[in-house]
Amino acid sequence: MSLNTGQSLTVSGQDLTKNGSSSSRASWEDARTVLKPSTPTRKPKPPKPENAITIAVSARVLFTMEKEQQIYEQQGMEDYIKYQVEHETEPFSPGPAFSFVKALEAVNAQLRELYPESEELFDVVLMTNNHANVGLRLINTINHHQLFIERFCMTGGNSPIGYLKAYHANLYLSADPIKVREALEEGIAAATMFTPEKMTEVSETQLRVAFDGDAVLFSDESERIYKAHGLDKFFEHEKAHENKPLDHGPLKCFLEALGKLQKKFYAKGQRMDCPIRTYLVTARSAASSGTRALKTLRSWGLEIDEALFLAGAPKGPMLEKIRPHIFFDDQMFHVEGAAEMGTVACHVPYGIAQRVTKRGIWDKETSSAPK
Amino acid sequence: SKDSDHAVVVAVASRAVFEPGAGGGDGVYAEGVAFPLLQALQKVNERLLEENSAESLLFDIVLITTDSQQQQQSSQLISSTKHYGLEVSRFCFSTEEDFSESLLKNNVQLFLSTDRNEVSQTSQKGVLSALLDEYTASCPSEQLRVLLCGDAVIRPDTNPTPASRQAAQSFSARLGKMRQRFGMSDSPLSITLMTSCGGRDSCGGALQTLRSLGISADEAYCLAGAPQGPILSVLRPHFLLSDGFSGLED
Repeated sequence: MSLNTGQSLTVSGQDLTKNGSSSSRASWEDARTVLKPSTPTRKPKPPKPENAITIAVSARVLFTMEKEQQIYEQQGMEDYIKYQVEHETEPFSPGPAFSFVKALEAVNAQLRELYPESEELFDVVLMTNNHANVGLRLINTINHHQLFIERFCMTGGNSPIGYLKAYHANLYLSADPIKVREALEEGIAAATMFTPEKMTEVSETQLRVAFDGDAVLFSDESERIYKAHGLDKFFEHEKAHENKPLDHGPLKCFLEALGKLQKKFYAKGQRMDCPIRTYLVTARSAASSGTRALKTLRSWGLEIDEALFLAGAPKGPMLEKIRPHIFFDDQMFHVEGAAEMGTVACHVPYGIAQRVTKRGIWDKETSSAPK
Repeated sequence: SKDSDHAVVVAVASRAVFEPGAGGGDGVYAEGVAFPLLQALQKVNERLLEENSAESLLFDIVLITTDSQQQQQSSQLISSTKHYGLEVSRFCFSTEEDFSESLLKNNVQLFLSTDRNEVSQTSQKGVLSALLDEYTASCPSEQLRVLLCGDAVIRPDTNPTPASRQAAQSFSARLGKMRQRFGMSDSPLSITLMTSCGGRDSCGGALQTLRSLGISADEAYCLAGAPQGPILSVLRPHFLLSDGFSGLED
């Protein structure tokens, strides 16, 4: 399925608009007849949170809510809610996290086939700051796109952090960098997702996840050396400490969780065409500093399918070839570069890179609207 | 002043408000589990009157005592109430047999107690009742947080009857009306919907039921089988109402 570029969603050429009057709030009868429940076939039961790999996504990254966001910013909360309720039967268009979530579901379908009794699956939870009044529109949208999301938290403005912990969230994706930072501080893997200018097509059957190395999978310890003492000192240091594993970074556990699921496919003979594929896309160079990265992963018992050492070259073109559903990096420079070339890139606001940043970044990080 | 036609009468067991037997010094009882709840109810009244000094849709708080020990010390109960500045409009002393009658006679719309048996009995007699527990004590006192359960009963031992279902709906509708007096943010009253077992459509149905009752929930949680405990400890509702909100027609 190709992705919409933010136009309103159409189904067989017809715009999905609410029946009847244009401006009045839907009476509850209307809402009842137009709440489109999902096809009542036997839906699989969601796994218990302690068994699942829980991915929490905010509404604004799962769907596109640009127009509504504008209304919130310019006219305030009351008008925003009113607008949402008036357009309750109009599904939102997919957002940047959509294809990632679809790929998670594709992996689940394959896991269920191989291990019908197992609860080791992805579980996607909608974790939004939105007011419950937006709930029906979100549910209608999930039904419309036939997503497998059964769990959600609409916190009405309260912090999502406690709920992330209650669900043992393995990863949290949001458009709000403040919440993401809060989550990271609480030890939850999290990243701020941006919408690329265009979205390159990605696989519908194989989940591809790409990670930067330093300050994402690994701690920022080496990056600190580079920033303080320059490239030569960095190379020296990495060579000297080649056999000393780096400390872990905020996304290490997520890679670990992916690895756990990959092993389940390997056990059924699906190594070559595993439905999950992971990538390391790092500025380190294969000739020198790359060795420590690989040795660290090995010491953790983690595998990565492809390691791409760019020796400082831009990541955009490489990612465009890989076509991951999601890419994590701690530096906005790389996130922006990736997004420019159509990759869904997420910023991990962790480590030393956050203090030495490009000017453009602070401009982006001002919105605090409902997600 | 509270117009009896419009006041929402909430009866709280005095044993929940004050620690039975314990002395807080000066012949005054120590604070009980329901203390923050009472303060939150009062806060709602305060803010309602701030919005409209002639407001009649207010909480009318009644302390009800069956505990014979506390009855003997009725003056201590009254003085403790004064001591803490609690706004209680009536004290009701009743025997165990007449208890539910007492509640009905006093037009009580919601009865709150820490005693499971008490709550079960009054619920059977058609009085909307909710159990207070360890969560209640740690709830905030600046905002009244009410949880409406959209499916499956959270407390399986309080059997829902058609009468209590009706009572739950009409109480909640009044709560919904109170909620409308405030804006989206900074409300002293917060209404949360939670569905525990069903999937998103069952939560959607519950949201619609609430809407048909004139209730606009602030927050909504669909657990779809996830454990309630961890979520409740973050949510921290003062009390839960567990029937009458499912999307399924009775």
